[in-house]
Amino acid sequence: MNKGPAKKKQGGFLRGIHKYGTAYLLIAPPLLSILIFLVGPMLVSLYWSFTDYSGISAPVWIGLKNYHDLLFKDKIFGQAMWNTVAFVLIGEGAGPVLGMLTALMLNQDVKGRSFFRTCYFLPQMTSFVVISTVWKMLYSGNGLFNELLGFLGAAPVNWLGDPNHALLSVAIASIWQGFGFETVLFLAALQGVPKELHEAAMMDGAGPLRRFFAVTLPALKPVVVYAYIVGVIGSFQLYDQVYVMTYGGPMHSTTSIVLYLFTKFRDLRLGYASAISYILFVILVLLSWLQWRLFGKEEEA
Amino acid sequence: MTAEGKVQRRRRRAGRVAGNSILYIVLIITSLAMLIPFYWMVITSLKTEANAFSNPPQWWPHPMTFSHYAEVFRIIPNFGRYFLNSIIVSVSITLGQIFFDTLAAYGFAKLKFPGRDTIFFLFLMSMMVPSQINIIPMYKMMGSLHWLDTYWALIVPKLTGVFGIFMMRQFILSIPNELLDAARIDACSEFRIFLKIILPLSVPGIATLAIFTFMGAWNDFLWPQIMTSSDLMYTLPVGLAQLQSKNTSNWTQIMAGTVLSALPLILLYLSMQDKFVEGMTAGAVKE
Repeated sequence: MNKGPAKKKQGGFLRGIHKYGTAYLLIAPPLLSILIFLVGPMLVSLYWSFTDYSGISAPVWIGLKNYHDLLFKDKIFGQAMWNTVAFVLIGEGAGPVLGMLTALMLNQDVKGRSFFRTCYFLPQMTSFVVISTVWKMLYSGNGLFNELLGFLGAAPVNWLGDPNHALLSVAIASIWQGFGFETVLFLAALQGVPKELHEAAMMDGAGPLRRFFAVTLPALKPVVVYAYIVGVIGSFQLYDQVYVMTYGGPMHSTTSIVLYLFTKFRDLRLGYASAISYILFVILVLLSWLQWRLFGKEEEA
Repeated sequence: MTAEGKVQRRRRRAGRVAGNSILYIVLIITSLAMLIPFYWMVITSLKTEANAFSNPPQWWPHPMTFSHYAEVFRIIPNFGRYFLNSIIVSVSITLGQIFFDTLAAYGFAKLKFPGRDTIFFLFLMSMMVPSQINIIPMYKMMGSLHWLDTYWALIVPKLTGVFGIFMMRQFILSIPNELLDAARIDACSEFRIFLKIILPLSVPGIATLAIFTFMGAWNDFLWPQIMTSSDLMYTLPVGLAQLQSKNTSNWTQIMAGTVLSALPLILLYLSMQDKFVEGMTAGAVKE
């Protein structure tokens, strides 16, 4: 290489490339992947959400009409929103609590802890499609649950066929599938809580319930907040379970936001479906931000 | 010690024993509730069709038959193909993520470059975006690339993962810088440092990453459902949903298909339990 004075100016730049080139090369694949497969499509989706687009002819700009229709006219979407919110509330109301209770039990000096932990966590290993298929069988008219009810002398329940409790049945199966995640998460965190804290509280005469709320829960707060953020985001994307168990029925009582999006995609109403996806996105961003503000803030202070 | 004190102590011990028994009873009942659906899935697949919904329910298949497993392959001749597709897709995605995520994580954890924190923040933000938001444009994009209904659409967009980068970054951050500096003084290239120091020390993290990526890819439903349209390209979850909608009444066959598609991951989990737990808690518990 010629080391003449003319090259000197470029030297800084070349050295920069040389200095940082490796680093940029390392992060290039995921960066490109995010730009091409996520940011780009997101922008396209945003544009389509303001259009009437079938996927075949060119999109036609219609402004806010899709959003207006979804929020004020489309009764089924309103129901899908409500169903999804109810599902999130039921699931996140019960799941983490069950996870905490089981984790607290396993945090005692119990024999066979890893066996029990395995039991709670096992459904996590199987896909929603598998779990939902199995539960659909258990819920069927002459399935195991109704046989057990009959054994107890109770009348059979139309678990998935009655619009009044189909969503609850889906939620129960999902809670059963999911709470083991929290069990394992909380158990690991519980084992990191210093024993001295408990002993000090015990010396002060605090009962088990006081000790839980005064010592354990504050120590676990970051993990609990994490579990709720992940849980709420996940539950809002409810799709696999209702697709398999009910396909949204009966009478749209289990139609979720994402399932509705999917049906609009199948109907080739891509603009409308894009608007649904953006409403979901805004809800998730707001919720994450809210949870972070409410619960996560003190952590930094 | 007074007599009163003794009585109190005995009472407390009795209370503890009673508390312990209740604890075990609750643990056993709840674990049974976890296991029974799995148990029912397996034994239903082994029952004769007539006995599948007998009254009272049959708690042990009698007579026992394995014929439903063969029937699955007869009714859905491509069931084996779904299996193969799931393996090809999941293994490719897992290998890709191990490679790309670990390299990128090394960049973020140990190298300094302009814009590093901004780019990392962008990565973290992208984790919040629900995957449904880009699925429709992705469908059109894959279509114009002629990738629809091919392995490309199922694999390429999933070859890198932000969660994996985040997790591996945490892992690599804990490797002392002195080790790397020593190697740099010996004029090792960054790639050599990665190969000789980072990689061997990251094996536990990589194992966790591999398991989780594989699990996510194996169980994914919406993505392969949208991106595939022909029987030959379905993955197991898509094929299973198909099997179910094809014959809604024959639960013995459906359960045989369910067992077949659930088994690989359950076996993987049972053989590598500790790694699973370690990886799950890595993101949240470790600071």
